[in-house]
Amino acid sequence: MIATFFLIALLQIKVPDAAQVLGPPQGPPLAGAQLERRTMELSSELRCPVCQGLAIGDSPSIMAANMREQARELLSRGYTREQVLSYFEKSYGQFVLLKPKFQGVNALVWLLPVLVLAIGFVIVVTKAKRLEKTPVPAAGAAAVPEATSEVIDDPYLARVREMVEKS
Amino acid sequence: MNRTVLIVGIVIVAAIVFILFAGLGKDPAHIDSPLVGRPAPPFSLKAVGTGEMVDIEKLRGKPVVLNFWATWCGPCYEEHPTLVANARNLQPGVQFVGVVFNDDEDKIMRFLAERGTAYPTLLDAQGKTAIAYGVGGVPETFFINPEGKIMAKFEGPLTTEALQAELAKAMR
Amino acid sequence: MIPTLGRFLILASVLVATTGAFIAYAAGSKRSPEGLRWSQRFAYLFAALMLAATGVMEYALITHDFSVEYVSHVGSTQVPLWVTIVSLWSSLEGSILFWGFILGIYIAATTWINRNDHQEYMPYAIGTWLSVGAFFSFLIAGPANPFLTVANPPLDGPGPNPLLQNHLLMIIHPPMLYLGYVGMTIPFGFAIAALLRGRLGQSFLRPLRASLLLPWVFLTIAIMLGGWWAYEVLGWGGYWAWDPVENASLLPWLTATAALHSAIVMERRGVLKGWTVTLVQASFLLTILGTFMTRSGVFNSVHSFTQSSIGPTILIFLAAVLVFSVVLLSFRIDSLEADGKLDSAVSREGMFLVNNLFFVVLTFTVLVGTCFPLIVEAVKGKQMSVGRPYFDAMVVPVGTALLFLIGVGPALPWGKASKKEILRALLPPLITGAIVMAIGLALGVRNVWTVLTLLFGGYAAHVTMAQMWLPFRQRVKRGDAIGPALVDAQLRRGRRRFGGYIVHAGAVIVFVAIAVSSTMRTQQEVTLTRGQSTTFAGYTVTYTGSEERAEPHRQSTIARFNLSKNGAQVTTMEPRMNQYAAMREPIGTPAVYSTITGDYYISIMNLQGDQAGVLIINMPMVGWIWGSVIMMGIGGLIALIPSRRRAYVVSPVPAEAAGDEVPA
Repeated sequence: MIATFFLIALLQIKVPDAAQVLGPPQGPPLAGAQLERRTMELSSELRCPVCQGLAIGDSPSIMAANMREQARELLSRGYTREQVLSYFEKSYGQFVLLKPKFQGVNALVWLLPVLVLAIGFVIVVTKAKRLEKTPVPAAGAAAVPEATSEVIDDPYLARVREMVEKS
Repeated sequence: MNRTVLIVGIVIVAAIVFILFAGLGKDPAHIDSPLVGRPAPPFSLKAVGTGEMVDIEKLRGKPVVLNFWATWCGPCYEEHPTLVANARNLQPGVQFVGVVFNDDEDKIMRFLAERGTAYPTLLDAQGKTAIAYGVGGVPETFFINPEGKIMAKFEGPLTTEALQAELAKAMR
Repeated sequence: MIPTLGRFLILASVLVATTGAFIAYAAGSKRSPEGLRWSQRFAYLFAALMLAATGVMEYALITHDFSVEYVSHVGSTQVPLWVTIVSLWSSLEGSILFWGFILGIYIAATTWINRNDHQEYMPYAIGTWLSVGAFFSFLIAGPANPFLTVANPPLDGPGPNPLLQNHLLMIIHPPMLYLGYVGMTIPFGFAIAALLRGRLGQSFLRPLRASLLLPWVFLTIAIMLGGWWAYEVLGWGGYWAWDPVENASLLPWLTATAALHSAIVMERRGVLKGWTVTLVQASFLLTILGTFMTRSGVFNSVHSFTQSSIGPTILIFLAAVLVFSVVLLSFRIDSLEADGKLDSAVSREGMFLVNNLFFVVLTFTVLVGTCFPLIVEAVKGKQMSVGRPYFDAMVVPVGTALLFLIGVGPALPWGKASKKEILRALLPPLITGAIVMAIGLALGVRNVWTVLTLLFGGYAAHVTMAQMWLPFRQRVKRGDAIGPALVDAQLRRGRRRFGGYIVHAGAVIVFVAIAVSSTMRTQQEVTLTRGQSTTFAGYTVTYTGSEERAEPHRQSTIARFNLSKNGAQVTTMEPRMNQYAAMREPIGTPAVYSTITGDYYISIMNLQGDQAGVLIINMPMVGWIWGSVIMMGIGGLIALIPSRRRAYVVSPVPAEAAGDEVPA
C-alpha cells in the first residue's frame, strides 16, 4: 500500500528539466568509464557556489555533490559539454564558469597576457640589440671563462675588474 | 626624468588602485541571479507530511515566497520563526513555499513539529530544483510575482524588514 | 594594565618609527655620519618596542588575560599551550602585530650587519624601512588594535579559528609566509636608497641581492607549505587551486625570482640596473597587495581573514607607495642605467632577458586573472569567475618555456660565442632529455605538456649537473688533488653558483613532479558498506568501520580502511570528518599513504550508518614536490652564505670610495 502510494507520488514529482531550457541533446548518450571521465572534466570547469573559488569536482560540499550528479545525468542523456555548461550558466550566471568564455570583455583576460608577451618580446629584442651596439670599450668583458666567474663573489676583486674595464 | 616610465607606471598604478577601490565593501560571497526578471523554473514536488503535490505554476495569481533550506543548515534555524510569523500575517495574499534538499523526511518532520509551520514544505531529493534556481548556500529565498516571474533573490537568513522589502518588488 | 602597557608600546613605536624615518632621510640628504648613527639607534629602538609589544601580547595570551580584546577573541583556557602561543597570528589584529615584530627583527638585523658599510645608502634605506614600520605601527595602534580593553572581561574565550588546530602545518606556514612577505621590505629599502642616491654601485649589489634572497627562500618554503597544507587538509587531492590568496603569495615570488636573475646580469655586465630595481620595488608592492587581498574581504578565499576594517587603510598605503615608487623611478632610472653592454643576444645574458620576460608575463597573467572578476564587476556590473582551468591553460605553456630556459640558459656561454661553440654546448644534453622522455612515454605519459616537461626536464637536469661539476673538473685539470680539500675549496669559493644550481635542480624536479602528478592522477568515487572492498590502482581498500571521537573543539568521525596489495596487508588508513562547533559544514581530513613513487589518498565524502562514500586518488610523484622545494630552500641558503667576506673587510680602499666613483 505504502509502496504504491510512493510510486504514484514519484510519478507526479516534476523537477525543472534541462530539456525545457536546452532543447534536445546534441550528442550521443554516455555511459561507463567515458561518462565518469567527462563528468570529472566538466566538474573541474564549474565553480561550487557555496565554496570559495573551488570547482565542484574539488569540493566535498553537498551542493557541489548535487551539481556533479546533475552534470553526470545530463551527460548520460546525451547533452554535450557546451550544453551542460550553458544549463548551469542559465541559473548561476557566468559566475559558475571557472574558465571564462572568449566573448565580449571576458576575451581580454585571454588576450592581455598574450599582448604583454608580444610587447615584452619586442622590448627585449630591441633592448638586446641596443645593448649589443652600446659604444663601451669592452676590453676584458667578453667571454669571461667559467672558472673565473667565482671571483665575482669577491667585491674587492669585482671592483678592481670594474676599474680595469672602465679605464 | 624618464617620461615613458612615468606614464606607463601611472597608468598601471591608476588601474590597480581603481579596481581594488571598486572592490571594497562588496560581499565576495554574493552571487547575482541571472533568473531575476525571468519566469520561475517550473516544478511540482511533494509536501513533507501531508503528501500533497505542490505545482509552482498553479500558484500564479499571487506573489510567492520560495524559501530553500535544510535541517543541516545552522542559519535556517534562526530564520524559521520569521518565515512562519510572516506567512501567518500575510496569508492568504501571499503564498509561502519551503523547499528542502538533501535531507531526511523524518528530520524535517521533527523540525517542523518542534518549530511550527504555516505553509507547505517540499522535498527536493537531489537538489535538482535548487540547481535550476541557482541556489548557492542555504537559506536562500526567491520572490516570485503573480505572473510567475522571479523578482528578487535573498541570500542568508531573512529578517522581517528584509522580507518585506524584497516582497514589495514582487507585489508590483 | 596589560592593555595599557601594550597600547603605550605601540604608540611609542609609531613615534619612534616616524621620528627615526625623518632623521634618517635628513641624514641621507646631508650625508651626516652622526645622523646615520642616530637613525641606527632609532631602528634598534623600533625593533625593541615591537619585540616588547609582541612579548606583552604573548604574556596576555598565555596568562589568559581576557581584559585584552584580542585575547578575548582568540584565547581559551580549553586549548593546549602551543595553540595559545600560535594564536598570536590566528586572527587579523594579532597577525599584524606579528608582522610588526618580524619587521622589527629584519630592520634591526640588517642595520646591524651593515652598521659600518654602505654609509652612502644606509640612511635612506633605514628611513624607508622605518617609514614602512611607522605605517604598520599605525595599523596596530589604530584600525587593527589588539590591545583594546574589554570592560567586562569574560571568564573564557572561544579559542582560535578551529582550522588552525586541524594540522601542525598551520603553525609553521604563517610565520614562513610572514618572513617572506615582510622580508621584501629590506631590499625595497635598498632599492629606494639607490634611487634616491641616483646610483647603484657594484659593492652595493651584494646586500641588495642577499636581502632579496633570504625572503625569497622563506617565501619559496611558505608557498610549498601552503600547498602541502591544502593537500593534507582540504581533501580534494590537490595542492594548488589558484585561489586569490595563493596567487597573492605567488606574485611577489615571481618578481623576486626575476630580480634574482636580472641581478646576476647586473653584476656581470653592469646593465639592467633600473630594471632590477623596478623588480625589487614590484616584489615589495606585491606583498602589500597580497596583504590587502588577504585582509580586505574583497576576494573570496579559503584563507581570507573575515574582518575587513583595515582594507581601505592598506589600500591607501599601497596607492601612496605605488605613486612614490613610480615617480622616484621615473626621475632616477636613467641615472642608474647602462654602464655596460651585451656582446651577443644569443648568450647566457640574452637568456636572462628572456627569463625575465617570462617571469613578468607570468606575474601579469596571475595578477590579471586574479583581479579580472573585479574589473568586470566594476565596469559592467556583471559577475564572472576566473579559476583553475584558466590559470592552468595560461601558465603551463610559459612554465614549460621556463623549464626549457633552465636547461638552455646555463648551457650557453657568457658573452659572444661562435655557432659551433653554441651547438657543442646545446646538443649533448638532448640525449638525457630524450631518454627521460622515452621512459615517460613507456610508462604511459600521453599529455603533450607532460611529455615536453620530461624532455626539457631531462635536458635541464643534464645541464645543471654538468654546471655543478664543471668547476671541480676545471680544478682537477689545473692539477689540484682530488680530495676533501678540493671539495672544501670549491664550496667555499663557488657557493653562490653551487647554491644556484641546487635551486635549479630542485626546480627541475618540481616541474616534473607537478606535471606528472597532475596529469597522471587517477581517481574513483565509491560507496563501501562495512566489510566491503574495492580494488583501485593496484591496491585493495576494505572499509572496516568507523569510530566517533569527541574533543573539546570538535566532534570527529574516524573511518578505518585496510589497504592491501596482492593479498598482503600494507597499512591502515584513517580519514576523518571533523564537525567544528563554529562551522556549518563538516571538514574532512584525508588519509595519505605515501611511497617514493606516489601517494594513495582517501578522503571521506559522506558517512551514513554502515556506508562510507569515499574519494580514492592515486597521485604519482606528489611527494617529490615537497622534497625538492626544501632542496630549493637549502640551495638558496647555500647561495646566501657570504663566501670570502674577509677579503672584503680587509680591503684597503673603502668600498664606496673605490670603483663607484671612477668615471665611465
